[in-house]
Amino acid sequence: MRFLLSTLSLSYATRNKAKTFLTLLGVVVGVATFSAIRGAQSTLVGGIRSTVDRMAGKAQLQIAMEGGVPEELTETIRELPGIRSQSPVIEQVVVPERGELGSILVLGVDLLGDREMRDYSFEGDDADLDDPLLFLAQPDSVAVARPLAKRAGLKIGDPLVLKTSRGLRTVKVRGLMTPKGFAEAFGGNLIVMDVFAAQDLFARGRRFDRVEVRLADGTTLEEGTRTIEKAVGPAYRVETPDRRGAQLEKLITNFVAGFNISSGFALGIGTFLIFNSFAVAVNRRRRDIGTLRSLGATPRQVMLLFLVEAAVLGLVGGVLGLLAGASMSQSFLKLMEQTSEQVFGIINASEAHIDGTLAVQSVLLGLFASLVGAWEPSRAASRIPPTEAFAKGSFQAKRGPLSKPRVIGGLALFGAAIAFTFRPPFGGNPLILMVMGLCVASVAMLASPASQALIDRVAPFAARISPVAGRLAADSLMANPRRTSGTVIATTISIGFVLGLGGYMGSTKASMLRWMHDVLTSDLYVRASANFTNPDSRFPASFREELAALSGVRSVESYRGMRITVDGEPAMLGTIEVPLMMKRVKHDFLQGNDESMLRGLSERGEVGVSDNFHRLHRAGVGDKVTIATPSGTVSFPIAAVFRDYTNDRGTIFMDRSVFLRYWKDDRVDTYDVNLISGADIGKVRDEIRVLVGGRMPALISTKREFVSEIGKAVDAFYSLVRITVFLALGVAFLGIVTSLLISVAERTREIGILKALGAVRAQIARSVALEGVALAVVGYVLSLPIGLLIAYFMETTVAEVFAGWRMPHQTPWGLLTELAIALPLVSALAAFVPARPAARTKVTEAIEYE
Amino acid sequence: MLRLTDVSKIYEGKSQVKALTGVSFAIESGEMVAVMGPSGSGKSTLLNLMGGLDVPTAGSVEVAGRDLAKEDEESRSLFRRTHVSYIFQAYHLMPTLTAAQNVALPLHIAGVPRKEVDERVDRALQEVGLGARDRHLPDELSGGERQRVAIARALVTGAALLLADEPTGNLDTVRGAEILALLRSIHERGSATIVMVTHDPSAASACDRRLEIRDGRLVGDNRN
Ligand SMILES: Nc1ncnc2c1ncn2[C@@H]1O[C@H](COP(=O)(O)OP(=O)(O)OP(=O)(O)O)[C@@H](O)[C@H]1O
Ligand SMILES: [Mg+2]
Repeated sequence: MRFLLSTLSLSYATRNKAKTFLTLLGVVVGVATFSAIRGAQSTLVGGIRSTVDRMAGKAQLQIAMEGGVPEELTETIRELPGIRSQSPVIEQVVVPERGELGSILVLGVDLLGDREMRDYSFEGDDADLDDPLLFLAQPDSVAVARPLAKRAGLKIGDPLVLKTSRGLRTVKVRGLMTPKGFAEAFGGNLIVMDVFAAQDLFARGRRFDRVEVRLADGTTLEEGTRTIEKAVGPAYRVETPDRRGAQLEKLITNFVAGFNISSGFALGIGTFLIFNSFAVAVNRRRRDIGTLRSLGATPRQVMLLFLVEAAVLGLVGGVLGLLAGASMSQSFLKLMEQTSEQVFGIINASEAHIDGTLAVQSVLLGLFASLVGAWEPSRAASRIPPTEAFAKGSFQAKRGPLSKPRVIGGLALFGAAIAFTFRPPFGGNPLILMVMGLCVASVAMLASPASQALIDRVAPFAARISPVAGRLAADSLMANPRRTSGTVIATTISIGFVLGLGGYMGSTKASMLRWMHDVLTSDLYVRASANFTNPDSRFPASFREELAALSGVRSVESYRGMRITVDGEPAMLGTIEVPLMMKRVKHDFLQGNDESMLRGLSERGEVGVSDNFHRLHRAGVGDKVTIATPSGTVSFPIAAVFRDYTNDRGTIFMDRSVFLRYWKDDRVDTYDVNLISGADIGKVRDEIRVLVGGRMPALISTKREFVSEIGKAVDAFYSLVRITVFLALGVAFLGIVTSLLISVAERTREIGILKALGAVRAQIARSVALEGVALAVVGYVLSLPIGLLIAYFMETTVAEVFAGWRMPHQTPWGLLTELAIALPLVSALAAFVPARPAARTKVTEAIEYE
Repeated sequence: MLRLTDVSKIYEGKSQVKALTGVSFAIESGEMVAVMGPSGSGKSTLLNLMGGLDVPTAGSVEVAGRDLAKEDEESRSLFRRTHVSYIFQAYHLMPTLTAAQNVALPLHIAGVPRKEVDERVDRALQEVGLGARDRHLPDELSGGERQRVAIARALVTGAALLLADEPTGNLDTVRGAEILALLRSIHERGSATIVMVTHDPSAASACDRRLEIRDGRLVGDNRN
């Protein structure tokens, strides 16, 4: 056996380098994607826990509220029994002007009181830090963690320029911290400053992000929590750092789990490429296998030979994939970190690493995928009769007659996929796996008969266009149905995914754009923060008067969003001057109407909810929504349900006056400015710029700019779907190139004979290109039903399960056209790789080939 | 050594092909037998059955006292390793292996220890007169040389039954005659039983006995 492997398999591999490489590539891509994503996921999840832990120091409880904790709260807490100490905190991630330093976490604390919580390990014999009062006397003082200072080359007294929401701000280094314990958080990219200076620097107003508490000896955590909760009311979260870490971890785990689809897809594709390569290799080596058998090799030996080959490929591919994955995982991590910071406000900075377990897991997965892919072809190889070696001329697998049960079975599976799409029997990830699995299985069963039927129709036509190249291509496709259908399955599934996911993204984006067009009808939008979901600064309410006073301004609305929890699930609260907003916005109501909405919200203190909130919480007109406010828990009746894409967890709208009454927080996220007709938008915009004049951060956008900025945020959210789409496209081409390479190798003799008969290089090359085009076109046509079904499935069932939305279906004509043009074109180009050796085939060699 | 009793072989396919019908004969140990007949008459089919590569639809094929028709794929493979060797018209050498590696192949399949393999391969190559070309790939050898390698591969296992299907079919007269002489000398030196399919009457006359097949039936059995 060892000899068979070390000589027969190895010599085959070295003599067919391109094919071996492509087979290997399947495993490498699969394992690399898997290990990179998993590595990033576990680093992120682990990093969040340790960041929260480290940052918390000795604090036992943290008190926080969405939108910030007002300063007065510290007075309330001070009077409570069982509290040893408390310390306010502001936490902000900033990017320094020197972008190469990466994001920095700025921690604002009360340096006088905070040593109870955290050990700062200030270094050196610096007088400033021996006397915190001196440090505090200058509001631009910061202490920098040693690793950051070292990387940035910062010494005591050096300035550091930070990009804040108010523009560039300079702080001065007045202390250094040893990186141990807390100063290791956020990868050591940490700065500490006075909490009140931070309030000012980051436009927090008179609020903190949270207040941390240490309990007196003898007070238990439960007692402490109960006392504080009773004193501050239900709107505040009082939790241990550990629990907060766990919750953030849970949030992020759900989010990063989305990447599992991508990594699963990549692995599946790797397996499939192995299957394809082995099926083809077995077919190609039939004669050799027959000879081995006639020399006394048992069927089991033959099977083992191929399986061991697969195992070696799997291991080598697994190790290479792991190496590639390790270098890719940092980029995945950055992508995940950006999204988690923007969408969830969860901060983290770590170096992605792949631990031992994951490394072993990845390599084993490569091995496993390879063995699974090679199993069936290896079994087929072991069944090749020894008489095969005697067969004269080149042997080709005979094409079987169209198997009726197979077609019926495939159609039944596809039917089941359709049925599950329209009437899902259960939900969540199992449903997605089920429908995707059914689609893939039905393609696997139907692709072969369907591609035969298609090629039978297309072939005579191709032969008529070009008697040599066309016929040669058609013959080659029909002569080896096994290879053809293998390639067609791979391309069909890949393009199906591209169409499905791409179509889904397209529909979603189109629906959102249409909705934004209906809702965002003000002329100018003045925002305090570039971040939509997790704003890092807000306007004072008084700014509205100043805006309204400008000439040309008709009215100003104050939008304020807030993340809240309803029935334990996160949701969004949107507040605005409803009567003003209703004058310009045309809502698409599912329940209620303009009248009930206007009356309900502005006169009776009711709320309107988005369609996805309605579906996710099964609540509509007649029901009540219970929300914990700083003034106590309140139940709001629902006045209307309308289509709205503000938030994927559901949105509740209320009038600003109601919000102010219960929340007593008048800060504003965005001012929607409506102009009198005929006013010059550019001029008003300039005036607003002057008005803001460095007093506060402000981004002023026109309607169109605002829509496109939100569009970009949506795109960022779908970045992982896009990665999958690109992976799938890559796979489709990899499949076609592999197939063509093999086709050319198999037809060396035929090509030689043709050349002997006078065919010129160009004709041979053209035939290979035509074959590639034909494969792409067949894959494309067959992927249409699957792709459109997947798109529809995502838009309705999946979107509803996860976000409560049902996107109106839209045929992705643009994508269809793009693929219809790009696929054949790129396949023809891809065919260039195998076409060159084919065209160069020497007549004599080819005829010798037998 | 070998006994066929009322052997029939029918290939099932789109249309049934009766390749052999009621063939019976016996071959003694140490005989050299030629099988002749027109193309498509069933010669190769017959050879396949004798070597246990295939099983008859009816009848029995006894080789060295075992009825191959009753044995399964696995045990027939094991049987072949030690009892039967093949020589093909189209050589069927592994194109990626050198001459020596090709010859060694059946020994490795049978799990013969490496030291012994090298020795036996050398001997077999010497025997066919190819001692110097052991490191060449099949592509670098002439047709006659390739067939010699194939013969060395058949000899190396020391199998008692040597089956050759038109071993000279791809060669010119001179090379064909050389191969024939080689087979003949192998036959004379050892005790191997050789069954050789051939179209060439002069090749047939070099054998001890001549079987004639026509339309799947045995129509002649003459001793020279
Ligand atoms: N695997 C097979 N399936 C179906 N029919 C077969 C198969 N192998 C051989 N035959 C048919 O059986 C008959 C005998 O074939 P066989 O190969 O034994 O003839 P042959 O005498 O060796 O011919 P040749 O001299 O051309 O080699 C032929 O009609 C052939 O077409
Ligand atoms: Mg024959």
